[in-house]
Amino acid sequence: MSLIQAQNVCVSYASRPILEGINLQIEEGEFVCLLGQTGCGKSTLLRLILGSEHPTRGRLLVDGQELLQPDRTRGYVPQKYSLFPDKTVLDNITFGVEVSQFGLLKRFTPQFYRRRREFREEALDYLRRVGLRVTDAGKYPEQLSGGMQQRVAIAQALMTRPRILLMDEAFSALDPGTRREMQTLLRELWRATGTTVIFVTHNTHEALHLGTRVVVLAKDSPEQGSREMLDLQVAENCQEEEIPRLVRRLENASRPPFAEAVPAMG
Amino acid sequence: MSAGFQLIHAQPSRSWAVILSWILFAVGISGYIYTAEQRHAANPEDRVTPTLVQMVHSMRDAALKPAEEDEDTPEASSLVQKFSASMLWKDTKATSRRFLFSMALLLPAVMLGLHMGLFPFVGAFFLRFVLFFDKIVALSLLPILFIAFGIDELSKIMLIVIGVTPTIILDTFNLTRGVPKEQIVKAFSLGAGDFDVAYRVVMKQIWPRVLNSIRLNLKAVMLFLFAGEMIASTDGLAYRIALLRRHMGMDVIIPYVLWVALLLFLVDLSMRLVNRWLHPWFKEA
Repeated sequence: MSLIQAQNVCVSYASRPILEGINLQIEEGEFVCLLGQTGCGKSTLLRLILGSEHPTRGRLLVDGQELLQPDRTRGYVPQKYSLFPDKTVLDNITFGVEVSQFGLLKRFTPQFYRRRREFREEALDYLRRVGLRVTDAGKYPEQLSGGMQQRVAIAQALMTRPRILLMDEAFSALDPGTRREMQTLLRELWRATGTTVIFVTHNTHEALHLGTRVVVLAKDSPEQGSREMLDLQVAENCQEEEIPRLVRRLENASRPPFAEAVPAMG
Repeated sequence: MSAGFQLIHAQPSRSWAVILSWILFAVGISGYIYTAEQRHAANPEDRVTPTLVQMVHSMRDAALKPAEEDEDTPEASSLVQKFSASMLWKDTKATSRRFLFSMALLLPAVMLGLHMGLFPFVGAFFLRFVLFFDKIVALSLLPILFIAFGIDELSKIMLIVIGVTPTIILDTFNLTRGVPKEQIVKAFSLGAGDFDVAYRVVMKQIWPRVLNSIRLNLKAVMLFLFAGEMIASTDGLAYRIALLRRHMGMDVIIPYVLWVALLLFLVDLSMRLVNRWLHPWFKEA
């Protein structure tokens, strides 16, 4: 059975349809990019898988279960506010393991301090893997650049070893050079950990560069909710010269017929 | 075309800025001294504008001699003993005690605001009532409080609680609501439970802002405290000011007003320093 199953999922906000009849199967270990224009409901679909929102109709199953609320099986990296501003880089990364293994009161036991030393060792390891220096460990998020913050956020999410990693426009606020580096890093981490990744983006090139599969969401008409327009498997050894053709195909799918005037997506 | 000098873009030098910032103080003090001299020249018995010498003299008495209403304490020898039996110390102590009590009672208000903002059921239960309560003019309740609780300490503390806590509750509520949703979802996705999110994520983030909000409300706390003391009390700084008004004791009233301002300034300053020390990550907007 697939890891994630969307069965005829519909979502509407105050009777305005966002998603209409989404049917989607995502297998363990896939790297799926959800692609679409602003307001097409791709982030909504991500939040459904996260469990912070629920379908108006239809069912969304993760591992055969309907979701109640977000939990540690699904890591999350949003575009903004991804780190806790009051915690240092190291405390941000260890937050997950600390909080899930030691409750509010257990924090005051000597055991906690013993375990915390191990957590910190492990966190430093993750810090190096996402390309930060050990000297950054004691800094507060505000002292880091946007790219470094997202690196920490990825380390933070991976530290709890989630089965699914959900990323919502995680690199959209970064400059092109940094974005390219982060994409490469994410691909490497995905290969090394085998985590299922679902990555929401409005950038066609990013989707093709990252994913093993690109799902395009778009609306048929302004009054309707979005549905999957295209579900494309991207070959691992995708040739460079094939990319422009794929980009055109994806952009045609995500640009609905009623909106000819919308400029092509960057 | 530039006019030749800048207004918004002006950059006064450090010494200019310092000089300018003290001018109003200098004008105020010298204006007062001049007025006092004039009035005393016309009428040596003038009580409205005591001279600096008179004020210093009265304050030395206030700081070293017991209050009139007290029994004469056995002759104290050292300065510390004299001060601890003095009127100034007695009044300051009484007011500070009430002040600290009220500050301690703000803590439950902060916790209530946090839970209202975070847990929808708690919010639904309390919000409308607190909003209503916030609109009640606390001073209009004063007679009711004196009737219900008597004119002792409880009614004065209740006045402060009723006057200030709704503001603090609503402020904390709004600050809690202002924490980005992403932070809460993120914490859950890392394995946190509801109370981990409440106390380890949200509360820690809003604390510096809550402290700032309390700092802004120090004036309100003092206002209600003074109102209570002036109307019904047998000690405290405001009691003394109200009492001396009857004798036109401006030589004590004016220094007392400045003393209260100084104390409040010090409380505010220390809260700001503690805030900065506890929350090095916090950047004031």
